[in-house]
Amino acid sequence: MRFAFRALPAASGGALTPRPVVDIALEGLEAAPIACLLDTGALRTRMSAELAPLAGIELPGDLTEEFFIGGLKTVGTLARVSLTVTDDTGEFSWDAPIWFCDPWPHPFGLAGLGGFLHHFLVTIHAYDGYLEIEPEPWLGEP
Amino acid sequence: MPTMTVSGHQYSLDSHGVEAVLQGALPEPIQEHFVVINGRRWPPKQVLALVTGLDRADFTTHQARRALTRLGFTAGRAASPRGHNPATSPAAAPPPGAASGATGRPEPLVEALRPFIGLWVAVRGDEVLVAAPSPKEVVAWLAKHHQRAQSMFRVLDSEQAITGAAPQ
Repeated sequence: MRFAFRALPAASGGALTPRPVVDIALEGLEAAPIACLLDTGALRTRMSAELAPLAGIELPGDLTEEFFIGGLKTVGTLARVSLTVTDDTGEFSWDAPIWFCDPWPHPFGLAGLGGFLHHFLVTIHAYDGYLEIEPEPWLGEP
Repeated sequence: MPTMTVSGHQYSLDSHGVEAVLQGALPEPIQEHFVVINGRRWPPKQVLALVTGLDRADFTTHQARRALTRLGFTAGRAASPRGHNPATSPAAAPPPGAASGATGRPEPLVEALRPFIGLWVAVRGDEVLVAAPSPKEVVAWLAKHHQRAQSMFRVLDSEQAITGAAPQ
C-alpha cells in the first residue's frame, strides 16, 4: 500500500514540508481514518483520547502512563484495538495496542514501533515523497 | 440592501447577512453546484434555505445559485465525481502529492485546506468533505451524510505543531 507524503498549508502562506502520514482507521470509526505521522523514533502508537469514544472504545484506565510530549505533560491510556489501513489496492487489518492520550497537542496521531511499525515492512521514498507499507509475513500465519 | 423574490416571497439580503446566518453551520456534501462563502463551498439550496427559512422544495438549485451570485458570492461546479481519489490510485507513480515538496508545484489539497487552519477536517483525495472545530462534529457529519473519508486530522498552522513530537 502506498501513501503520498502529506503537505499542509502554512499559516504564513505556502506549504509546510510534506511528511510521511498513514491513515489508520479505528474499529468503529471506519468512516474517518485517523491521519498518523510515521514516527520511527516513537516506541508506541498514540492518538488523542477524544477519538476513543467516537469509535466506541472504552478506556479502562487500569494501564496508564504519564509522559511529556512537545513539552506538555500528558497521560496515555492503553487499549487494544482493531485497526485497518486501506488504499485503492486493498486493505489490511490488525490488532494492536494504542495509547490514547489526554491532553494531546498534535494534529495527527503518531504511528510508532508498537502498534504500527512492528506489523509492517515500511519503505520510505523520501525524495519522491511517498511511503509503501507491506504487512509483515508472520501476520498472515496462523 | 438588495431585494429578491424567492418562491413568491420577497427578501432583503446582503452578503454579510448571509455570512452571519452560516456561522456555526456545516456545509452539506456538494453534489454538483456550489457557492463559496466564508472560504467554504456550500450547496446553494442549503444556503438559501437557511437564509430564508423556506423549504428546499420551494426553489431550484439554479434559483438559489442565481440569488447568491447576485449578492457577490462566487459559484462553481464540482469538477470531478465524488470519491475520485488520485492520491492513492495504483496507476499514479509517484503519487500526486509526492513531487510537490521537491518541485514546488502547487498542491491542490494544500490550497483546499488553507481556509481550515486550526479546524478538524475529513478529506477524500483533494477534496475537503467537512471542517469543524472538533472530531466529534466531523464524525457526526460523516455519519449523517453517509460519507466516508480518506483521512481525518486537524489542520496545523505551523511546523512547530508537529516538530515537538518527542520520541517515546
